[in-house]
Amino acid sequence: MKITAADLFRQPDGCILRLSTDSGVTGIAIGTAAAAATARRLAKSVLVGADPRAVTGLWQQMTRAGASRGDRSRRRAAALLDLALWDLKARANREPLWRTLGGARPRAHAYASCAGRFRGDDELSAWFRHMASAHGLHAGKLTVGRDDRADQGRIARMRDALSQASPYPELMIDAERRWSADQAVRRLRAMERRFDLVWVEGIARASDARGLKRVSDSIAGAVCVGAGFAGISQFLPHLRQRSADVVQIDIGAVGITAALQIADAAYGLELPVTLAAVAGNIHAQVAGVMPNCMSVEIVDPDPPSWLASDLRVAGGRAIAGDLPGNGLRLVTA
Amino acid sequence: MKITGFRAETYLMKMDRPVGDANLPGGVEMLPGSILYLDTDAGLTGISLGYGGAAVESLFSVIEGADPRETVALWIRMNDFLHKAGNEGAACAALSAIDMALWDLKAKIAGEPLWRTLGAKEGRVKAYASGLDYCLSDDELFAFYRRMAERGIRDGKLKVGLDLKADLRRLGIMRDALGIATPRPGLMIDANEYWSPKQAVRYVRQLERKFKLLWVEEPARRWDYHGLALVSRQVGAKVASGENLHTLRDVYPLIANRAVEVLNVWTGQSGVTGLRQIAHMAHVHGIEVSMMNAQANYMAQVAAALPNHTMMEVVDPGREHCLRFDNRVEDGHIVMGDAPGFGVEVDEAKLRALQADPPTGRGKFPFPRREGAGLYLVPPAPGEVPWARGQA
Repeated sequence: MKITAADLFRQPDGCILRLSTDSGVTGIAIGTAAAAATARRLAKSVLVGADPRAVTGLWQQMTRAGASRGDRSRRRAAALLDLALWDLKARANREPLWRTLGGARPRAHAYASCAGRFRGDDELSAWFRHMASAHGLHAGKLTVGRDDRADQGRIARMRDALSQASPYPELMIDAERRWSADQAVRRLRAMERRFDLVWVEGIARASDARGLKRVSDSIAGAVCVGAGFAGISQFLPHLRQRSADVVQIDIGAVGITAALQIADAAYGLELPVTLAAVAGNIHAQVAGVMPNCMSVEIVDPDPPSWLASDLRVAGGRAIAGDLPGNGLRLVTA
Repeated sequence: MKITGFRAETYLMKMDRPVGDANLPGGVEMLPGSILYLDTDAGLTGISLGYGGAAVESLFSVIEGADPRETVALWIRMNDFLHKAGNEGAACAALSAIDMALWDLKAKIAGEPLWRTLGAKEGRVKAYASGLDYCLSDDELFAFYRRMAERGIRDGKLKVGLDLKADLRRLGIMRDALGIATPRPGLMIDANEYWSPKQAVRYVRQLERKFKLLWVEEPARRWDYHGLALVSRQVGAKVASGENLHTLRDVYPLIANRAVEVLNVWTGQSGVTGLRQIAHMAHVHGIEVSMMNAQANYMAQVAAALPNHTMMEVVDPGREHCLRFDNRVEDGHIVMGDAPGFGVEVDEAKLRALQADPPTGRGKFPFPRREGAGLYLVPPAPGEVPWARGQA
């Protein structure tokens, strides 16, 4: 089997990459428009003509080609191609991706993430209430960091909304890098007097492993590290310094192949892994082969209008289906 | 598809030549073999080699009726089942064997060699020669490495540790034998934990006055991350270790403390799934892995797909009497064919013959620890190895 073409289809809120083969099997992945052009170039130089089933080997080839330049957009592009290759490999096997990876049907513990949306408090409450009642989610993550009083009010709203699904809602916050490590310690200690936080993320600079370790040593909740990281080397200082209590992996940024490597490295340290939201929620496919996967992030339980998905969020879990590949299909208008 | 049953076979075979190291320089000829078969309702059978006769029955009950393609999920299930007592000892051997047979099945179900299932680009792995050779005479030693060099192998690993002069002489023999494949053969040594860390530093420095060494394997005890790190900082060679540790948990201190630069991986490290975890963790930390030798070289299938694999150990004591396999060593590489799974088949008639009429010979695995280990050197006595000189 050989890859014959890599095509891009732009969408209003992203882009679709499709790999075609001489046997008629195709693989798709959804990414950002920013990665698209680089992805096509990389596909032409590395993937076209190659056997798509060699996902791990092709990943090495793509990262070797890009890593030396330390080029972020190139790594994102490699990740996008990796997602499409895994889809293709699973479709060639005529099985869902979770099975190709060696998983059982994933029922990944999921949490609702407001991801910076919902400026209005009522809007926020309504969304978390909906996630609790319609999807059974009792875990949620809120963007904070502007005003302590307002933040606490909104955390309380999230907690109350999620209480519909469980007497023990799980609360997480993302400070979007608005605090230094020292500020974070003061604010989080105050916050923890009122709330039991599962984790905090987006504190200090992502590269400040020492600062984050200090935060971890000072608060009860976990420090979650890894959002936005685009390669395995960015995780290493946090594993070495034990500055991450929870390792967050974005398969859209690092690809599935590297995500599995990072998850195993975290597993060796007994660190839980959480998978960041990804278009179509295909992270649920991968969760089942990570023995240390604690949760997957859900920003939108439904796919965009131009995409069909057999992954659903129900009973607090992200559940993958039986459709061959990653579970996504393009909706042709 | 469902897992329906298992069959475990043990046998004893006499290898074509003895193998030995610092702990048992005289070597052994007898190899206790074992094969685990996992059956499915689709008629396909997965096999794994070398489960060691461990009791697989209680672990099998955990996966009976499951879909064999769900390899990693079943690994998690078995590992969770072993939670309290731990994935250790005989339980780890059984888990490893079941996991390998499951991967063999997964690839067979897909109708492809395992290296492809695992996503490797090609079924080809760089090889190095390892004589397990403390029991070989100087001539036999030369013949072994020359035979390997004729197949394009450029690197060799010598058993050392007991007798400095002999080791220096034999390193030269190995280098000369490999010299037809390359002007600069890669030289490695393996002490099989015979030394203390400081003994290792003194001994290896003496060897390094004359030879440049790629790596020194197990220069100190397997868990001693302080000692291994000390050796690593004081000799020119890289330190390799890990083959006697069985899980990611056990290996982690070596990685965290920068005690090794090469990790030896193999099937007994909680199967394909477990050793892949170790390799991935090593990869994230910038550490290489090297696959240990295996009957019929069948673990080359897994090595081919590891992102940080350097080269795999190849030995040829002749221990495949009841096996047929689809790979060969050429041009310095293990080259795998298209046979599905591990590409290994059992010759049932030969297996029955070995079981019905077990051969006899000298010694038997496992190797005990030799007197003096970690304390003082006890060189081979005259007659213990073909190359030991009489003290007259």
